Amino acid sequence: MYVKEALMSSKPTRRTFLKGTAATAALAAVGTCSLGAWQAQRAEAADDSAKAQGPSLCNGCSSKCGLIATTLGGRLWTVEGMEAHPYSKGTLCGRGHGAAQWAYSDGRLTQPMKRQNDGSFAPISWDDAFAEIGAKVQEIIAEAGPEALAVIQDPRPSGKYYSKRFMNALGSANVYTHAAACNLSKESGIQEATGATNFSVDFANTKMVVFIGRSYGDGIRPSSVKSLAGAADAGARVVIVDPRLNNTGIFATDWVPIKPGCDIALLLGIANVLVTRDLYDHEFVEQSCTGFPEFAAQVAEYTPEWAEGVCDVPADTIVELAESLAAAAPACAIEPSWRAAFGCAYQNSFETARAVCAVNALLGCWGQKGGALITSSPKAGDLDPVKFPKVPEPAAKRVGDEEYPLALAGTGTNLAVLNGCNDGTVQGVFFYNSNAVQGYAQPAMWRVAVVAAKLVVAIDVQMSETALASHYVLPECTVLERFELPEFIGGKKHFAALRTPIIERVHPDTKSCDEIFTGLAEACGVGQYFPFTVEELAEAQLATVGTSVEAVREAGIVELADPGFAFGTPVFKTPTEKFQFTSAKVAEAGLNPVIGYVPRLVEPAEDEFYLVGGKQGIHSHTMTLNLEALNAISREYGLERLWMAAADAAELGIADGDTVELSSSEHTGTVTVKVTERLKPGVLFMPTHYGSTSPYLTRAQGFGLNMMDFVPLHLEPAVGSTMSQEVAVKVRKVEG
Amino acid sequence: MTRYGMLINTKKCVGCYACRVACQMVNGLAPEESFIAFNEVEQGAYPNVYAEVVPVQCMHCEDAPCEAVCPTHATYTTDSGVVLVDEGKCIGCKYCMAACPYGARVQIEETGVIEKCRFCWYEGEPGNPPRCVNTCISGARIFGDLDDPESEICREIARTNAQPLAGDLTAAKIYYVR
Amino acid sequence: MVWGSMIAWYLFLAGASAGAFLTAAFVEAKYPDSVKMRVAGRIIAPIFLGIGLLMLMLDAEAGLRNPLRFFYLVMNPGSVMTLGVYFICVFMPVSLAAALLEVLRRPVPKWLTWTGIVSAFCVAAYTGFLLGVVQAYPLWNNAILPVLFVVSALSAGLAATSLVGLVTDRARFEQMWLIKKGHVILSAIEMVVLFTMLVIVSSGSPEGAASVASLVSGEYAPMFWGGLVLLGLVAPFAIEGYPVFITRKVETSTTSMIVSVIGEGGVLVGGFMLRLLVILAALPVLYL
Repeated sequence: MYVKEALMSSKPTRRTFLKGTAATAALAAVGTCSLGAWQAQRAEAADDSAKAQGPSLCNGCSSKCGLIATTLGGRLWTVEGMEAHPYSKGTLCGRGHGAAQWAYSDGRLTQPMKRQNDGSFAPISWDDAFAEIGAKVQEIIAEAGPEALAVIQDPRPSGKYYSKRFMNALGSANVYTHAAACNLSKESGIQEATGATNFSVDFANTKMVVFIGRSYGDGIRPSSVKSLAGAADAGARVVIVDPRLNNTGIFATDWVPIKPGCDIALLLGIANVLVTRDLYDHEFVEQSCTGFPEFAAQVAEYTPEWAEGVCDVPADTIVELAESLAAAAPACAIEPSWRAAFGCAYQNSFETARAVCAVNALLGCWGQKGGALITSSPKAGDLDPVKFPKVPEPAAKRVGDEEYPLALAGTGTNLAVLNGCNDGTVQGVFFYNSNAVQGYAQPAMWRVAVVAAKLVVAIDVQMSETALASHYVLPECTVLERFELPEFIGGKKHFAALRTPIIERVHPDTKSCDEIFTGLAEACGVGQYFPFTVEELAEAQLATVGTSVEAVREAGIVELADPGFAFGTPVFKTPTEKFQFTSAKVAEAGLNPVIGYVPRLVEPAEDEFYLVGGKQGIHSHTMTLNLEALNAISREYGLERLWMAAADAAELGIADGDTVELSSSEHTGTVTVKVTERLKPGVLFMPTHYGSTSPYLTRAQGFGLNMMDFVPLHLEPAVGSTMSQEVAVKVRKVEG
Repeated sequence: MTRYGMLINTKKCVGCYACRVACQMVNGLAPEESFIAFNEVEQGAYPNVYAEVVPVQCMHCEDAPCEAVCPTHATYTTDSGVVLVDEGKCIGCKYCMAACPYGARVQIEETGVIEKCRFCWYEGEPGNPPRCVNTCISGARIFGDLDDPESEICREIARTNAQPLAGDLTAAKIYYVR
Repeated sequence: MVWGSMIAWYLFLAGASAGAFLTAAFVEAKYPDSVKMRVAGRIIAPIFLGIGLLMLMLDAEAGLRNPLRFFYLVMNPGSVMTLGVYFICVFMPVSLAAALLEVLRRPVPKWLTWTGIVSAFCVAAYTGFLLGVVQAYPLWNNAILPVLFVVSALSAGLAATSLVGLVTDRARFEQMWLIKKGHVILSAIEMVVLFTMLVIVSSGSPEGAASVASLVSGEYAPMFWGGLVLLGLVAPFAIEGYPVFITRKVETSTTSMIVSVIGEGGVLVGGFMLRLLVILAALPVLYL
């Protein structure tokens, strides 16, 4: 009856829902002695066809795991991982469960908002918002051309299609992802070496794997954790190179604490040992690589002793690691990482990614069992040009591509938008599912930049810091309330999956991504490129890979044609069609074409610390911090705390739980300290989810610190990444 | 006889809190209420450190102190060894909270009742498996019949020499691999 | 912490109630003329217990919302709380009846007094055993705590009753040497018992040591030394002990009366502090 009550109220709150489930659960708790009551309750609920199940895709992070949601009386009750989905493999992580409840969060945007002159926000109708945005867009195009417009998005199935199509239809090539603050350097580096932007470790067969900064136990994808757990079970040697003993440490055989931003020295030291002691795979190097002689000549300088001096890992350890890898080769690999230590962190991140690839090349593990695998991804084929008219190629090149030629074509560097706003080349910016202001570079710098823009539009589910800095905020419905375009998943096998709505929209004045971009396009005069619904587009896309919306909706996920993966040396899709120890493109960008040493940019002074960031398993960047269930965990377990090595704490007279003032050249803030033995002395660790400044996100605001506040604005040369860890900080104890 | 129990392998737990949130959802708990608590244990000194997360919840003790002290018999044990709470009898005196050596009893704000993990007991039997097991991303949890020597849990307990957290203090039915 | 000040009030008031009833019985036997004090003890007993039970019920939120559930309290004789309910079920009506008879100026039958005496002891002891059987907390789980609580209960009941006697019937009160001596001795015993308990708990386990440390030198030190030790034990001991054992003369001055009031009040404050601190400072044994 509680379920009914919740149904009857027009805008059911989370609280009434909880009351409902608490009541059913409480009845259940009665167990044998009131089983009758529980069953009667269920029978009554069944009149409203209360219990229903359906598949969808999680939005807790960009993995987009498959999930099965169960609703009771139309309200979400539980979610579980989809068995057949290659990322979830039957389970969901904590943030997946938390993000599934997003629809009921009290921090949601419920209607379009427009910023007033005094900086506050007032509701505006969709029609007015679209009309006003359309007029502004036309104005900008008339004055500065379409190349003065840009969109930044954190890719989601519909978002990456619609945002790009919208921007291209307007005549602008300025489409950017979040990558410059995520994995741009790593993907770009891997691409220059191998032609692919990523690779995976064959955990099922590996004998030894080395993680550089990345933590499967913190930046979680369930399948990765399972793979690693399996490898550890099977006795693989798991080496974690990280200044912090992260939560993946539980699977590790070795923890190699290292000076932040100096992983490249370790890698080059290992490469030196492999080359100078003739432990490398001659066949692979001679037949499948280019530039090895130059690399070998250069790597001779990078002795283990030299590396120790740079990265503070003992030379003996470096030699031992190199020898063990050589012994395990080719069933071993350096793991490719993601954001972690060289996704966007340092001046040398791009080069570190190349060095990772170089070591794997020396080990001859590319494509080998237990080694580094390059797999393919499916994508939709060509669609009916009448129903889905082709958008003309924009005339002007994307802003930033010239200065940052090594940024990936698919991502660009979103910081070009920040610079573009400052110099006037960009005047209208759209953000989709992106909290750029809070996370992509120093927030103060972003705020200054977007103030200069004529039009800033944020599309989000909540009043993020980016939304707060925008002129118009358009509310999207949340993950389980919307249908999105198919998600194509690559790997040894190929799949297509769908995000389908599980529940009715809780707030009727929110719209889905496709509705919003179609509405924007029509208002901006380019509606002719959007004469279709998202369902029609999904159907057409799926038809090109031999399946249908109905089939995918039914099963949740459909396996596509077998791509025919086989072990063996892969085809390197580089310009030379070989693994590249040297790259012409890198030379053109004005950098050393040969994979070699690049130092980190900022070195702490005597009384300063290195500051490293990292994810926590329950949060996805800054977007999940305000979610009730996840925020409660952060608060209960003090997850916002700054980690400090016990030795440093003792020296500074700081005890666990003390409050400290943290300051860099850019910012000062106070935070509670967690004193730990799990950190290299001289280094501080700050989780990168905290320090929200949005008064609309009541439980996130003012909770912890935002690392990006402390980091100076500077971009990785030629790549354009945000260099999120190029910072030195001071700490002093203050009264809490 | 069936005697339900659980194995938690801390050597596989990355502390992702999936079990906590899944449990909250299925049981309709408020965000601040949890049947599972997480203890981070750090041993050794830099750089020779071992860190583990030990999830703690109701151990479904055969010698359950909470049941022994419960003045109203709201806490009771089923034939299959699952310790349950009869909400209709609980007055919220919190004696069980005090008596539980594992701190596993939780007061529900909405009702005042002192609840706890009940192995997802809904329809006269425990969840198959309970949600925390179902969603564990690394397979750190196994649920099953401790009286069936052929069950996965029994084989795993034997293989790993898993032990209850507090030895034989309360004849707990959650076994830990440490 | 599982419990808070509500339960501390309950434990204190239930103990003091029992102590007051016992005091009244003692006064009746030894000082038949001291009517006012006897009546005071008899009336204090059910009032204190009633307030205490109210606190208990306010703290038991699920029962408060569904009062019929309190009837289940008699279900588990294996639980000290259920035993306590049995004792209270006897003591409450008995003390109420005794108080009523006193108010109606009717004699309290011997059998009623004796039933009350036995059940009062049981109630006082039960408040200690309630915590004492909880193995999870070393500060509670020791044989001395129930003794300490019984001594403190007697002392508090005596103090509450004495306070009334002191104010309403001072001349007689100052002549009741046995009462006064008993009071001093109880304070002394309580000091010894408390000291013994802290030493034993402190040496028994790390959690016990941490609990004791939080009392004597940590978070609760001001309340412990100021409220419990100084105000609740040392001051009453000195204030009562000085005339009783040193000067051995009957005090009549207003100053001495104020000092005595402080002494008796201190016992009451100390009695409450004892329960509160024992509840707050207890740390559970961690099994990790």
